[in-house]
Amino acid sequence: MAQFLQATVYGLLQGGLLALIAVGFSLVWGVMNVVNLSHGAFVLAGAYVALQLHDAVGLDPFVSMVPAALLLFGFGYVVQRYLVNLVVNGPIFITLLLTFGLELVLVNLMLYLFTADHQSIPTGYAEGSLVLPGDVRIPYGRLIAALLALALTVALVYVMRRTRTGLSILATGMDRGAARLMGIKARHVYALTFGIAAAMAGAAGAAVGAVSTFSPADAGRFTLFSFVASVLGGLGNMWGALYGGLVLGLVQAWGGQLLPGTLVNAVAFAVLVLVLAFRPQGIAGKPFYASRLEV
Amino acid sequence: MSIVDVGQGQEVAGPATPSAPVTAASLRRRTTPWVLLAAGLLFGIGLQPQLYPAQERLVSTVLMFVALATAWNLIGGFAGYASFGQVAFFGLGGYGTALMMVHLNMSFWLAMAASAVVAFLFAALVGAPLLRLKGHYFAIATLGVAEGLREVVTNLPKLTGGGGGITIPTFGPNAPTRWLGNDGFYLLFLFLAVAVVAVAIVVASSRGGYALRAIHQDEDAAAAMGINTTLAKTLAFAGSAALTGAVGSARAFQLQTIYPDRSFDVAITVLMVVMVVLGGSGTVLGPIIGAISVAFASEWLRTNYTDVHIFLLGGMIIVAVVLLPQGFTNYVRDAVRARRFSLLENVRRYRL
Repeated sequence: MAQFLQATVYGLLQGGLLALIAVGFSLVWGVMNVVNLSHGAFVLAGAYVALQLHDAVGLDPFVSMVPAALLLFGFGYVVQRYLVNLVVNGPIFITLLLTFGLELVLVNLMLYLFTADHQSIPTGYAEGSLVLPGDVRIPYGRLIAALLALALTVALVYVMRRTRTGLSILATGMDRGAARLMGIKARHVYALTFGIAAAMAGAAGAAVGAVSTFSPADAGRFTLFSFVASVLGGLGNMWGALYGGLVLGLVQAWGGQLLPGTLVNAVAFAVLVLVLAFRPQGIAGKPFYASRLEV
Repeated sequence: MSIVDVGQGQEVAGPATPSAPVTAASLRRRTTPWVLLAAGLLFGIGLQPQLYPAQERLVSTVLMFVALATAWNLIGGFAGYASFGQVAFFGLGGYGTALMMVHLNMSFWLAMAASAVVAFLFAALVGAPLLRLKGHYFAIATLGVAEGLREVVTNLPKLTGGGGGITIPTFGPNAPTRWLGNDGFYLLFLFLAVAVVAVAIVVASSRGGYALRAIHQDEDAAAAMGINTTLAKTLAFAGSAALTGAVGSARAFQLQTIYPDRSFDVAITVLMVVMVVLGGSGTVLGPIIGAISVAFASEWLRTNYTDVHIFLLGGMIIVAVVLLPQGFTNYVRDAVRARRFSLLENVRRYRL
C-alpha cells in the first residue's frame, strides 16, 4: 500500500512536469494545426541554457527558468515568423517534415556543442525529501518543479482566456479568416503562439535539468510525451495538457510498479492508440478539433 | 447508345464496352512505365559487374529505399494517409523472418513470404480502427503502434533476444538458408524494388488507384460516388505494409543481427516520408527520384562530413521543404504546363 501511495505521489509530481512540457506543444497544435516535432529539442535547449547559467554564474536551475523562457521565446518567434509561416498552409506532411528537419538541426547542434554525455544540474536542496506519514517521500526538487509547472500552466490559461493577446491567439486558432477581418495580424499571432510555446518548453527544460539527467538523445522522448499528453487531454481546451500530463504521469508510475523492464512505455502507447481510436477528442477536448482536417 | 459511341460515329449494337478506345497515345501512356521499368531492371543487372563491393552495398541500400518509399507512397501519397508508423512493418518483417528462421528453422524465402503475410494481417487489424482517424491523428496513432511494437519486442527477451538483438544463423550446418553475399543481396533488393514499383504502376492506372486518389481529395465525396472507402484504405494500408515487411525481411537477412532500436527506428519512417514528399507524392516516378537522390545525398554527406552530416541533412530537408513543398515531379509537371519556373513563386503556395 505504501508502495502504491509512493508511486501515486511520484506519478502526480512527474505528471505536473509533463504537463508543462506538453502545454506549448498542445497550444501550437490547437491554434495552428502544426505538430511541432522539434518541441523536445526546445525542452532540451532550455535545460542546456540552465546548465550553462549554472556553470557560468552559479544560477539556481529554477531561477534559470526565466532566462531560458525568454531566450526560447525569441528563438521560437523568429522560427515561426520566418520559417514555419512559409509552409503553414501546406498539407500535414510538409509541416511535419519541416519541424523534423529543425529537430535534426537543433539536436545535432546540441550534440556538437555539449557532447552526448548525460548531464544534470546539481542543487543543494533537491536531494532532500519531505516525509509524509505512511513513509511516503516527496523529494523537494520534484515538488518545487511540479508546483512551478502547475503555476505556469495556470498562468498560461489565464493569459489565454483573459488578455487581448491570448484571446486574439484563440480567435486565430478558431477561424483565421474571420480573425484577420477583425484586424488581427495572423503572421504575428502565429509567431507569438510559437514563441510562447517555445518559452514554456524552455522553462520546462530548466526544471527537468534540476530533477533528472538529460542528453541530446532525449529530444524525441520529450516530443513523444508531449504528443501523448496532448492527445490524452484533448486539443482546444487549455486544461487538456494538464489532464493529459497527470494521467500519463500516473500511468507511467503505476505501470513501473507492476510491469517489468520498459514495458510501461508500451502501455503508454497502447493508451494513446486506444484513446485515439475510441475518443479522439481526448478527455477534455472539443470534437471540433478532433474532426478538423488540414486548414 | 452512349456518348462515346456517337463521338466515334459508329453504329454499335448491344451494350457499349466501358473501356476507352485504344488510341496510339493511350497505348503509349500505358506501356511507357513498363518499358522504363524493364530498362531500369536491365540497367541494374548490367551495372552490377561494374561496382566495387562497397559501391554494391551502397546501391543495395538505395534500392531498398526505392522499394520502401514506393510502398509508403501507396498509403501516404495516393490515399493521403500519413502513416508515421510505417517502420512498424519494416521491423515486423525483420523480426518475423528472424524468429521463423531461428526458432522454426524455416528457409529464408518461405520466411520472407510469411513475414509479408504477417505484416499484411497486422496492418489490416490495426488499420480497421485507426484508418477512421484523419490527418495528424492517424499519423500519431500509427507512430504509437510502431513505438509500442518496439517496446514489446524489447521486452520479450526469451523470444526476441530483447535489446541485445537476435542473430540469424547464415553459415554452417544450422543455417536454414546460406547468406546471399553482396551480389545476391544486390539482386534481391533490385528485384524487390522492381516488384514494388510494378505494384505502384498497376495501382496508379487501375480503378483502385483512382479510388485512393478520390479518397485523398475528398473522402465523403468518394464515398458518395460509391467507393467502399474503408475497404480501399485498408487494402492500400495492408498492401503497403506487406511490401514494407518483405523489404524489412530482406534487410534483416542481410544484416544478420538485428536490434529493436534500429529495426523500429522512427528515422526510417521519416526517410521514407522525406523521399516521397521531396520526389513528389502520388506519382510513380516521384518516390523513385526522391529515394535515389536523398539516399545518395545522405551517404555522400556521411562520407564527406562525418561529424555534422545529420545536421546538414536536417538543413537540406528544411530548404527542400520550403522551396519544393509539392515535390520535384509535381513541380516539374505544373511548371511545364503553366510555363512558370520560379521557385520563389512556388514558395508563395503554402505561405501565410
